[in-house]
Amino acid sequence: MNRTLRKLFSNATSLIGIILLILFVVVAIFAPIIAPPLSDDPYQVPRMSWDVNPQPPGSPMSDEIRDIYDFMGKEIKYDIAICGTAEGGYDIFYGLIWGTRTAFKIGIITVLIAAFIGIFIGSISAYFGGWIDEILMRITDIFLSFPFLVAAMVLTTVLGRGLDKVMVALIVFGWMGYARVIRGNILSAKEETYVMAAKALGVNDGKIIWKHLLPNTIFPVLVQASMNIGSMVITAAALSFLGVGAPVGYADWGQMVSFARNWIIGAPGHAGQYWYTVFYPGIFIVLFVLAWNLVGDTLRDILDPRLRGEL
Amino acid sequence: MINDRKLLLAVKDLKTYFFTEDGIVKAVDGVDFEVYQGETLGIVGESACGKSVTAFSIMRLLDYPGKTVGGEVIFKGESLLKKTEDGMRRIRGKEIAMIFQEPMTALNPVLTVGFQISEALMTHFKIGKKEALKKSIELLKKVGIPIPEQRVNEYPHQLSGGMRQRAMIAMAMSCDPSLLIADEPTTALDVTIQAQILDLMRSLLQEFNGSLIMITHDLGVIAEIADSIAVMYAGKVVEYADKKTIFHSPLHPYTFGLLTSIPRLDVEMKKLNVIPGTVPNPLHFPTGCKFNPRCRFTTNKCREEEPPLIKIEEGHLVRCWNVDKVVKEVKKGLLVGV
Repeated sequence: MNRTLRKLFSNATSLIGIILLILFVVVAIFAPIIAPPLSDDPYQVPRMSWDVNPQPPGSPMSDEIRDIYDFMGKEIKYDIAICGTAEGGYDIFYGLIWGTRTAFKIGIITVLIAAFIGIFIGSISAYFGGWIDEILMRITDIFLSFPFLVAAMVLTTVLGRGLDKVMVALIVFGWMGYARVIRGNILSAKEETYVMAAKALGVNDGKIIWKHLLPNTIFPVLVQASMNIGSMVITAAALSFLGVGAPVGYADWGQMVSFARNWIIGAPGHAGQYWYTVFYPGIFIVLFVLAWNLVGDTLRDILDPRLRGEL
Repeated sequence: MINDRKLLLAVKDLKTYFFTEDGIVKAVDGVDFEVYQGETLGIVGESACGKSVTAFSIMRLLDYPGKTVGGEVIFKGESLLKKTEDGMRRIRGKEIAMIFQEPMTALNPVLTVGFQISEALMTHFKIGKKEALKKSIELLKKVGIPIPEQRVNEYPHQLSGGMRQRAMIAMAMSCDPSLLIADEPTTALDVTIQAQILDLMRSLLQEFNGSLIMITHDLGVIAEIADSIAVMYAGKVVEYADKKTIFHSPLHPYTFGLLTSIPRLDVEMKKLNVIPGTVPNPLHFPTGCKFNPRCRFTTNKCREEEPPLIKIEEGHLVRCWNVDKVVKEVKKGLLVGV
């Protein structure tokens, strides 16, 4: 384990990944300090104006909004849109800071649950084999035959709008990869003598899978999972962009990009006039996914048994 | 000793077949033997003659495509083949334990030695983790592993081959089983360690009057440890008798061939005797006696009809038509003086 950590920190690319991840974690943890919430629901992005047109970075809060806060007796903790505002006056900076929490939530929860389901189905399938394997793997094949994004979109639409629905959709169509990887690994590991030895000692099947087989086979899944966190966030963002994701005004990067949809090309004669509406959310998503991919890559290099000896 | 022997395990006409795509492989096809309490049975035979499959069949550890299709395994008066999977699990490890050939692969590389020993204890007795670990340390001490307090927290790759096999023995012996099946436990070890391991197993078994089934192809090991011997060839027991009888007056040509193939120091030998030919492919066994293509005494009857297990005298069974011819050969005195 020490060697894993050392390797993780001695490699330049992985170091970049880790630093980026740490930055995101810090942002997520200190979100209430970096961007103090103005309303009771911190995930509701505050509006800096009622203006439909995006406002450039540095624009102050409009007087109408100020009046409302004054009328409600709320303290205005900050009143400048550092990264500008998106369509409808939504503050981009606030959306990005609190969107970091959303991104972690989506990425980690969906991957954890999807990996758990995948590991469960894959290990049972491989360990017991026969018709159990046949049935479970055919179910996996059916799920794999749907295009991921389209399937997730349809399911979210059916379930209704909301982040929890997005996560359900991502989990439902995101566990198959883990099931396949773990199945393949257990199929080869279960032929080892130590499994037979454990059986010969009267250890039950559940314990053999949990204590003997999974510790020997889980590493490729960990690598896959760490890389998948990024892609889950991207898919969630895509769903939000397409309008079936988070509810309007919810602090979510995809939502922020979706606000930019009408302004990406700028105004006639002023190409890129509204660059900030797409640039800031875009850069957050790219860096977040990049961070997980870099870390995942390094994990793979470290845990690859063919490379292990050389480390 | 003869009269108060207590029967522990009786295997009767055991048949285990593998249903492969190429056809049915009769890996075990008629195995008979008995194991008495406190005694050691040696199962001898060359590679792929069904020794290990016999052991796995007794423990019911074979998965598809292997299946026990006939015969009986009576352990302490109960038929193991009729037990439920759950009932069988209670017997494995507690009543019948097993030691494997390769200590390198029989221990899980990612778990500590202590965990693997405690696991067996915690499965069969209602004891906590701490107590199990304490007992594991005692067991490791018993099997002669130095500094057991430290070794118990180490991983298999940190132990030497001999120590790993000792740890395996500690695992198998953890619940004081009445029967221990050792599947070539010394094959992967060098000779000095072999002797130590054999001594260790013998002394541990004596301690609680346990029985041992020793599976090996090494007649030296068998001579050292066994009370009675079952010689296997092509999935069948071809001769079954006590050690003295097997070594001094074998009745099956295969046993005779094996014994004359042992290099001797006391007689000038230009060339080592060999049994001509190889073990037949289990998918295409010869008709009649399965040993007939390699046998010196083959007659037409051998090629046509498979001999049954004939009882020559009490406790001496042979599967051969030409016992009298072998007797004549034995009398020539070519055997090792045991």
